Amino acid sequence: MKKLTSILGAAVVAGTSATGAFAAEPLHMIMCGDDTTPGIPVQQGFIDEWVEQNPDFTVNVEYVPWGQCQEKSMTLASAGNPPALAYMGSRTLKQLATNGLIVPVDLTDEEKASYAAPILGTVSFDGKAWGLPRAFSTKALFYNKALFREAGLDPESPPTTFDELLAAAKAVTENTGAAGYGMAAASFDNTMHQFLNLMYSNGGQVVDEDGNFAFDSENNIQTMTLVQNLAPYSEPGPVAYNRGKLETLFAEQKISMMIDGHWLLDRIPDDVEWGITPVPAGPMGSSSSLLITDSLAVFKNSGVEEAALSLAKYLTDPDHQMAFDIAEGYTPIREGKAVDDLLAGDASWSTFIDIVSKGGPEPLVNDYVAMQDAIVEAIQGVVLGEVEPDEAVEVAQEELEYVQ
Amino acid sequence: MSQPSKPIDWFPYLLLVPAVVITLVIVAWPLAETLRLSFTDASMNPETHYVGLENYQKMFARNFPEVVGRTFAWMVIGVTLKMVVGLLAAVLLNAAVPGRTLMRILIMPPWIVPIAIGVFIWGWMYNGQFGMISGLGQRIGLLSGPFEFLAFKNSAFMATIVTDVWIGTPLVAVYLLAAMQSVPRDLYEAAWTDGASRFYRFRRITMPMIMPAMATMSLLSAIWTFNSFDIIWILTEGGPRNATTTMIIDTYKTAISRFRYGEGSARAVMIVIFLTIFSLLYFAMIRKLSKKGAM
Repeated sequence: MKKLTSILGAAVVAGTSATGAFAAEPLHMIMCGDDTTPGIPVQQGFIDEWVEQNPDFTVNVEYVPWGQCQEKSMTLASAGNPPALAYMGSRTLKQLATNGLIVPVDLTDEEKASYAAPILGTVSFDGKAWGLPRAFSTKALFYNKALFREAGLDPESPPTTFDELLAAAKAVTENTGAAGYGMAAASFDNTMHQFLNLMYSNGGQVVDEDGNFAFDSENNIQTMTLVQNLAPYSEPGPVAYNRGKLETLFAEQKISMMIDGHWLLDRIPDDVEWGITPVPAGPMGSSSSLLITDSLAVFKNSGVEEAALSLAKYLTDPDHQMAFDIAEGYTPIREGKAVDDLLAGDASWSTFIDIVSKGGPEPLVNDYVAMQDAIVEAIQGVVLGEVEPDEAVEVAQEELEYVQ
Repeated sequence: MSQPSKPIDWFPYLLLVPAVVITLVIVAWPLAETLRLSFTDASMNPETHYVGLENYQKMFARNFPEVVGRTFAWMVIGVTLKMVVGLLAAVLLNAAVPGRTLMRILIMPPWIVPIAIGVFIWGWMYNGQFGMISGLGQRIGLLSGPFEFLAFKNSAFMATIVTDVWIGTPLVAVYLLAAMQSVPRDLYEAAWTDGASRFYRFRRITMPMIMPAMATMSLLSAIWTFNSFDIIWILTEGGPRNATTTMIIDTYKTAISRFRYGEGSARAVMIVIFLTIFSLLYFAMIRKLSKKGAM
């Protein structure tokens, strides 16, 4: 009996130590959206490869709906229970970094060189990168050629300046049953994004090179004036519309122009005769685009920061990232043969890819939502006719300085 | 000869312990913690410092009085409409007419349907291009073109109230219907024998008898309406230009969207204070009316 007890005891000890020796440490990763998009199996394949190379870790990927995923990661982090790695809008990186919740990403010169400078700019401040770009988009002006023709406009000569944009919107509104321009002015982030596309195309800024707010400028007054002038030639009640709702109107041919990403082409019926052109340039600038990236951010105090960074770098390695971009249908983050193949197969991508070097980032600030609220309120005030563009821009600047 | 003192029976107190513990944990502790946080600069930053009354000063220095006024306007209009429509519905459902049971069932969907789904449906109805309200308005000549109800300050404010009334009325109607059915029938029979008209019977018998139920329901409805979040958030997120930002929306935006837990807690504390004062005043008014014999 004694012998049996000893054997059993030895077995338990051996089992315990064996378990201890091989217990892989869990790495919690939060992804936005669900696990049904075409890029997810591609990503999972690379995660499995990384785990194979790093057997001391397991990766638990949690998919959280878009509306809550960023808030979930930020709330977990501020409560002291951060995920190891999370998919975040790059706009949140400064807020996370200044609150000491994420770690900077050390990039080698070779890694830095693999990104176009404006793209790296979406994740960098104070000379450091705080995330690895994971998804990327640029914007262009979509227009309906049939409505242009009906309005007496040349469908092969889309607007290239603010004045031409306004004139085209006016012509379509007055000569067809559709609205000339699709304007987003709802209390929503892409209301600000739509404005920033026009703002960058007129040489404007929200934050200058020294990190100071520079919203109250002649450039931005001009852009806000364009918004004011376009409002009567937009869909009725722009304040009720965000970009998603405008996409429905564009597909229904109820608006003739809107600024959007390449994905709009997947959402419009075949009978819509569309054209794509760069965002028209303002009198003080040249055509540009807002560059939006989402990033993988490594959170502090997860206990596995080094491994999380290693995984993030593995997933965003040029080849792996390109495979993910192509599978998801995202604008490719890096250049390369795959981009050439993409362009050869679908020329509509060229407007979105050519504009990258001229684009501007989402401003990195300490309180992104406060900035968004200030700018959206200015836009809504102008659209509703409650304030003039110069006053709207001035008040927004004051609000930005106060809330930050 | 003094009687020996009776030993305290601890058993009943022991039975109360679980309830007291649960109340402390789920009510008292969060309230105390919210109050504590309201005096701190708690945010996304793990380091927190006490800042005294700074959060309250900041709150009043901004547009808070405007938000409070809007919240009470939203609550008063919404509750009044719910009580009036609910009372009318209860009277109709209480009437001895054919199909009454079916009508009692048909009034329930707004209350039974998940709020989010109901509000999304209203959101589409308010849409100018595809919504039925704008379409109907154009068809009968009230509107000259598509009208976006959520795009303008006043129409958005009223649209959120209409949706709230739609969702909140069935409960009021059913509650008042139950109160009406508990009124003794002999009171009506006696009044009828004396030749009292239908309206007289309603005014002098039904209304006084259901007044306690109306008082309770209006207070509960006021508290729910004051704290209503999902209707406004789904329809307008507090816009346009804060025209539908009530205290609860302002608190959410501050504490959750912007991660300013300290400032958000100060707003939450103000909600508790306002609702407490409102409830006390309300009960005082009810007591006064009861003494005067109005109830």
